[in-house]
Amino acid sequence: MKRFGGSLRLAALGCLAVVALSACEEELPVAIEGGALPGQPITILVEIPWSEFASNLEVFGGYGSPEDLGEGVLANAFAGSLNARTLLRVNPYPNVATVRDSSGTLRPDSTLVFTAGRLVAFFDTLGSTNFAAMTPVALSLGATQAEWDPATVSWSFAVDTINDQRAWAEAGAGPVTAFSTTTWDPAAGDSAIFLLDSAQVAAWADTTDVTRGVRIEMTDTGERLRVRSAALRLDVRPSLDPDTIIALSTGVRDVTFVYDPFPSPPPDGVRIGGAPSWRTVLDVSIPEQLTGPPEFCAVVSCPHVLEPAQISSAAIVLTSRASDPAFQPSDSIRLDVRTVFDRAAMPKSPLGESLIVDFLGRAVGPDAFGAGAGEEVEIPFTSFARDLVRGEDASGNAPSSTLALLSVFEPLSIAFASFEGPGGANEPILRLVLTIGPTVELP
Amino acid sequence: MIARALFLTVAVTLAGAPLAAQSLFNSAGLGLPVEPLDGKARGMGNLGIGLQGSSFSPTDPGALARLQVSTGIMAGQPSWVDFTSESGGGGNFQGNRFPLMGIAYPLLGGMASVQLGSFLDQTFAATSEGTVDVGTQTVTTSDRFVQNGSVSNINLGYSRMLNPDVGVGITLGRYAGSVDRVLTRSFGETDGIVGLDDYVEGGSWAYGGTSLTAGVSADVTSAIRVAASVQLPTSLGANASDETDGGDRTFDLPIQYRAGASAEVMGGFLVSGSVAMADWSSAADDLIGVGQAGDTNGFGVGVELTQANLWGKAAPLRFGYRETGLPFSFDGGDASERIFSAGFGLALNTTNGIVLAGVDAAIERGRRMGGGITEKFWRATLSLRAASGF
Repeated sequence: MKRFGGSLRLAALGCLAVVALSACEEELPVAIEGGALPGQPITILVEIPWSEFASNLEVFGGYGSPEDLGEGVLANAFAGSLNARTLLRVNPYPNVATVRDSSGTLRPDSTLVFTAGRLVAFFDTLGSTNFAAMTPVALSLGATQAEWDPATVSWSFAVDTINDQRAWAEAGAGPVTAFSTTTWDPAAGDSAIFLLDSAQVAAWADTTDVTRGVRIEMTDTGERLRVRSAALRLDVRPSLDPDTIIALSTGVRDVTFVYDPFPSPPPDGVRIGGAPSWRTVLDVSIPEQLTGPPEFCAVVSCPHVLEPAQISSAAIVLTSRASDPAFQPSDSIRLDVRTVFDRAAMPKSPLGESLIVDFLGRAVGPDAFGAGAGEEVEIPFTSFARDLVRGEDASGNAPSSTLALLSVFEPLSIAFASFEGPGGANEPILRLVLTIGPTVELP
Repeated sequence: MIARALFLTVAVTLAGAPLAAQSLFNSAGLGLPVEPLDGKARGMGNLGIGLQGSSFSPTDPGALARLQVSTGIMAGQPSWVDFTSESGGGGNFQGNRFPLMGIAYPLLGGMASVQLGSFLDQTFAATSEGTVDVGTQTVTTSDRFVQNGSVSNINLGYSRMLNPDVGVGITLGRYAGSVDRVLTRSFGETDGIVGLDDYVEGGSWAYGGTSLTAGVSADVTSAIRVAASVQLPTSLGANASDETDGGDRTFDLPIQYRAGASAEVMGGFLVSGSVAMADWSSAADDLIGVGQAGDTNGFGVGVELTQANLWGKAAPLRFGYRETGLPFSFDGGDASERIFSAGFGLALNTTNGIVLAGVDAAIERGRRMGGGITEKFWRATLSLRAASGF
């Protein structure tokens, strides 16, 4: 028995040694001769015209509202036609401040007297057309005189909800009580300051006033500005130290803009973006067999039955065209593509996940819709194409064959992207990069 | 008890072990054979037959009858390989495998055995870099082929002594295992066009087949033992999985002959010699890939200094040399393997002349050549044998 126990211990030690030995690093022998490959795949690009892969292109508008953008737009006869004004409401004023009393002690003071103020508007310089030429523009500030709903307000209507439609007394969110004017010079900074007196400040303090609000308007013409945000700086005389003026700030609660004219749907072509946003919807059908083009059939026997794994990339290629000058982008547009679950339910059909790997979408520079019109823009949807060819998606369900082209964020800007539609020389095409390899067999 | 503990250890180790990969010749034909040899046979350059003493060698079923008690054995084998190509490339890698694991148990006056392990190593990878024109762009490509798997086997044997000098045995083997073959093309950065996803094409095959091995081991005199065995295999079937586009295949396997002898001379030296023959050329007709098939004929010679001891325990020293062909090579010529070896054994516990626990270790320095590839390797083998009969 004693000997048996000794054997067991020795056996265990030996087992440990063998196990430890087997724990050495494992590396895969990598052949250095290409001949060890079972064959070499070929990769080839194939372009398929619109008529062979897509149909039923349709543009829908009205997604989101300018309020969702969280910023304002100013324009006055921009591109000869666009007028835009920014509406905003400031937060309730601070009702307490910490001040130093006559003994030098910091104490809260809730008896504040607002003596003056400054509304500071901050601009997106790159998104404003006057930045390139550093053109100063004149602005005016006024108080609205009618109640307005930030979610539904438009150029003509202050409120435009179900069973409640109230027009502005004067189109363009007017009339207003003029408060102040100023000039924004981009060379001097990214902000413009409107000076307010004590009466004007007091007029905005009443939060029960449903008409409470501000309209900013550009009085110079020919430019389009983006108002990134605004803040109200208040000069305050505290009761604990009436010889001192302190400054308090309050932010903006609602910010939106109204504009005119509202763009009409394009008679042809693709439109993406804007505020409210436009989406373009189309039905897609990936050919099951490829019978061309000749350069493809020169290396692959045609007809070639397409397999999902052979699709290295699939993208719709759009050709940009100049947008309406009033709505031409001044900054990059970010495009997205998603599946449409139920085409019949458009424009309200839910959409699937983005098919673009980059969560910021496909960026396209603003020139593509102006001076550089005619630029090719690829919008990838490889996984969608594979699902169509496979006949089922990753969950095993029949895949939707409808795509929506849209802006990554809706809305992203008042400007929208325009592309050529079907029927023209630069109609959208399907660009497939296919990789076709040998069937892997045993040696 | 020991056998059970050993069996569990073997099972756990096998489950957690990575697939073995020890040679670039894994990529030729059906791969590189794995010989189920322990540290003693490796140290003496033996081909797995004809050694004196009680041994557990599936290629020497007659000798299994000489095991007097239930016995378990396992061997681990790491190797370190440097390779060069006539085309100028080279590199190195390392890997591990478990060439021999088995248990023998007394049954019906003889010895029954179970042994499992790899039969043909097939794991390797190959890469090829290149470029491809996609539209107006040139994109870099990386084609990578990975073959992962092996032909394994499980053997059930029975051996018994016909008389005090002659033992015979028979082993029924079942080929099993599987292999995955996957070709992947990856693309480099693209400029302007959207990113290109990897292309992946592959398949899986499961192996099946049967072999029968018969052998005899005889002590001609008290100092000389001779042994011989023959293995008769069926063809090796490879069945593709349902998802595999590739087809089912069948490969002819050769009859393998082995013979060996060992003799104790001058009262402290054991010399051994062994030969093996197998003609794999018929398998060449079944191959559609690159490479060629030849024979694995070869020999091995060795010597053991049986009187050496360590810490009062028997610790024989061993030296050997062996030279064999490899069944598959790349285009351009046969492949062969030459190995110089050394090793020692250590009887950890011996009772009534029976080794209850022993370790055999070997280190080999070898070279494989064929088809423009030369591999130089160091390979260690550490085997443990434990027995219980009391």
